[in-house]
Amino acid sequence: MVAVSHISLDSNLSIMKRIQLLYILLALGVFSCSKDLPTELAYSSYQFASIDENGGDWIPILISDGAAIEIPVPTDVNSDAYQAELAEVKSAIASMTASQKKAVEQWTNNPVVRWNEIALELIAKYNLIPGPNADGTYTLPNPGNPDGPPAFPFAHPPYASRALAYMSVAQFDGLIAAWHYKFEYNRDAPYVLDPDIEHAFVANPIPAYPSDGAVVAAASGAVLKAMFPLEAAYLEQKQNEHLEALLLSGEAVPSDLDGGVKIGQEIAALALTRAAGDGMKNAQTSKAVSDSIANAAYERFGWMWINQESPQRPVGLTPLFGKVKMWNVPNVEATRPPVPPTPGSEAYNADVKILEGYLAEKNQEYRRIANFWQDGLGTYTPPGHWNEFANRFIVESKMNTLRAARTLAYLNMAVMDAGISCWDAKYYYHYPRPIQTIEGFKTIAGTPNFPSYTSGHSVFSAAAAEVLAYVFPEKANLVRGWAEEAAISRVYGGIHWTFDATVGTTQGINVAQYSIDRARQDGADF
Amino acid sequence: MNIRITSLTGILGCLLGFSINTLAQSPTDELMMPKKEICFLLNYEYGDFDHYWEGDSLRENATIATVQRRTLLLMAAYGITDRLDAYVGLPYVSTNSTTPNGGKFAGTSGIQDLSLGLKYKVIESKQEKSDFSLFASVLFSTPASNYLSDYQPYSLGLGAPQIAWRAIAHYQLQSGFYGRLSGAYVWKGYTEAEREYYYNNGSYYTAWMDVPSSWNLDLAVGKWFFGHDLRVEATFSSQTSTSGDDIRAYNAPQPTNKVDMSRVGGFAHYYFPKVKGLGVLGYASQTISGQNAPKMTAFGGGVTYQFGL
Repeated sequence: MVAVSHISLDSNLSIMKRIQLLYILLALGVFSCSKDLPTELAYSSYQFASIDENGGDWIPILISDGAAIEIPVPTDVNSDAYQAELAEVKSAIASMTASQKKAVEQWTNNPVVRWNEIALELIAKYNLIPGPNADGTYTLPNPGNPDGPPAFPFAHPPYASRALAYMSVAQFDGLIAAWHYKFEYNRDAPYVLDPDIEHAFVANPIPAYPSDGAVVAAASGAVLKAMFPLEAAYLEQKQNEHLEALLLSGEAVPSDLDGGVKIGQEIAALALTRAAGDGMKNAQTSKAVSDSIANAAYERFGWMWINQESPQRPVGLTPLFGKVKMWNVPNVEATRPPVPPTPGSEAYNADVKILEGYLAEKNQEYRRIANFWQDGLGTYTPPGHWNEFANRFIVESKMNTLRAARTLAYLNMAVMDAGISCWDAKYYYHYPRPIQTIEGFKTIAGTPNFPSYTSGHSVFSAAAAEVLAYVFPEKANLVRGWAEEAAISRVYGGIHWTFDATVGTTQGINVAQYSIDRARQDGADF
Repeated sequence: MNIRITSLTGILGCLLGFSINTLAQSPTDELMMPKKEICFLLNYEYGDFDHYWEGDSLRENATIATVQRRTLLLMAAYGITDRLDAYVGLPYVSTNSTTPNGGKFAGTSGIQDLSLGLKYKVIESKQEKSDFSLFASVLFSTPASNYLSDYQPYSLGLGAPQIAWRAIAHYQLQSGFYGRLSGAYVWKGYTEAEREYYYNNGSYYTAWMDVPSSWNLDLAVGKWFFGHDLRVEATFSSQTSTSGDDIRAYNAPQPTNKVDMSRVGGFAHYYFPKVKGLGVLGYASQTISGQNAPKMTAFGGGVTYQFGL
């Protein structure tokens, strides 16, 4: 009942307070009133800051170049076949229902952000850690039996980073291919060719064949269906709704969509082929392998992390995620951090004092920071949080779909590489959590089921911030500050040592550099 | 004149670690303060649970073991006229898990919600063998400190403004037996979390959480003994939320949950005949069914003191 959708989050909060007061006043007089809260980023179609005519020459990730995926030569706009398509669009628009119109407005002319939000929603939906069985054992999610229980997947941060990376890379490569053909064939959009066709979006001079929106719909839908198999029907419905919206927007005839869908499907298949062989399927190990990893660390360093839950979890989260194939770092050891302080050493004891100090202080600002960055179970995870920031910046800087996908592709490659590097350190060093080694220690954040050093939040966030600082230089100080706050938030939460956070931040910066170096060479900056 | 104060039966008992009716001092009974008299209550309550309903499935959770909750409440009732009372109340709450537990979460403590209320006697009908009376009350409450509602099951309260509209019907026989039915619509506003995203059957990009409103029912049957020195009642209470999501599997509850429950209890209030204005009360309650609610067992006791101004 009250429009809160066109304002930034900060002012959103203070306005919410006023709205709440209004509700109180209303409630004194009436029994109920509707409560509207934002469920997606608020934006409508917009004028792109650039068209990137040479985008088809940019260097993609999975394919050699934009021409590597082939689509049919489009029909001439004067042909009977095209004119029939145009008539079909016209009649569909003429009989558009209110809900179809709403869908067109909701998808906008930058659906890259919308598909990213769908991915974030599914991550949050599936980010539930399996609980114990009645006999105290645990059953792990099994892709062979996705219904479970427990349902597959458990969309924890490494899983989330990987799902986002494959989706974003597929979108990016697919859009380079789309851009290649758009400016090769230069076929105009229906609304340009026929002034009677109403255009639902702000006009941007980008040729229509193949439809970039259709590439995004097909590529995103296919990758997400593989990552979230129980959501196949939901994703199919979203994909169809999106394709229909593209047609009803006046920007595409059916053959524009078909060309885009073909690119989207082919690039998604290539992405999923890489995913099938990237080592993720071996990341969650047996107890025997897990124990041998822990024992190796104990032999090497004289310590090992032990799960403190009740009943105890026999295996930590994805002990071999550190062996998953990286995107842009040549080998994971290249970014492995130095050895952490030995428990009982002077440096370690100093950290114990710091942690006990934070706990005793009950500082509301520490609490706020710990909660703001927690992104724990049931949420979109830290990789999801950084995708949300990227989505806001993409819309704010009016990126076209290709630039948006590029931003998210490099962000999510760096974030997944950060996760792999972090997990390598976690299971190589196998360092205990504060609740394991400080007697009687309590936390305000949930202690995760994996070793302490380095902090996942720190590495993910620093890597994400570096990529965003590269793409949005005017945001560099802001995002680097956020990354440092995200890192220390885990110490305030009581679940990490300060060196987990500080060393993790450096690690994330190092990891991201490989993705940024690659991005600088892909043609988008020239 | 005997001390008269709002019955706390089943209301204090519902101040739980989960999202519940936190209207601690809600006027749900038939007692009215005489004009220009004031009554104070100091009450202590202990409640705990080691089972809770995740959706409608009752479970244990070794991560939190047994959650304990202690509430110290100070409240006052004042007779503006013989037909209109005003109420104010402020509780201090502390929560924790028993050790050992698998989660190692810190409990929390602090001032919860300030309540302000009015109760009006709409109808009073005295017959030869029985009395019937009807009341309407409204109670507003709002967080009185910066506690975090999104820290369940340890949160001090729901962290949202609430307004309870209540109708109370009371029927009493000359023998001292009585029955009372009270029904309320409790409007609950938003609570502000300290994160900017949460999942509630879909994504929410805001720190604000919609706390479900509810219909609340309180039923009591009781009797006065020794004239009007002692009242004893058996109580039944229920809450049915009008919206909300379920606690997800092995996940923490959150303020958006649809919290339903029913509870039985007993309550007694004794007014010292020889010490003018002084009374003591005690009660116990047990949650017997629920959805997204703790299976709480609670005990409480308090002292009341009434005097004219």
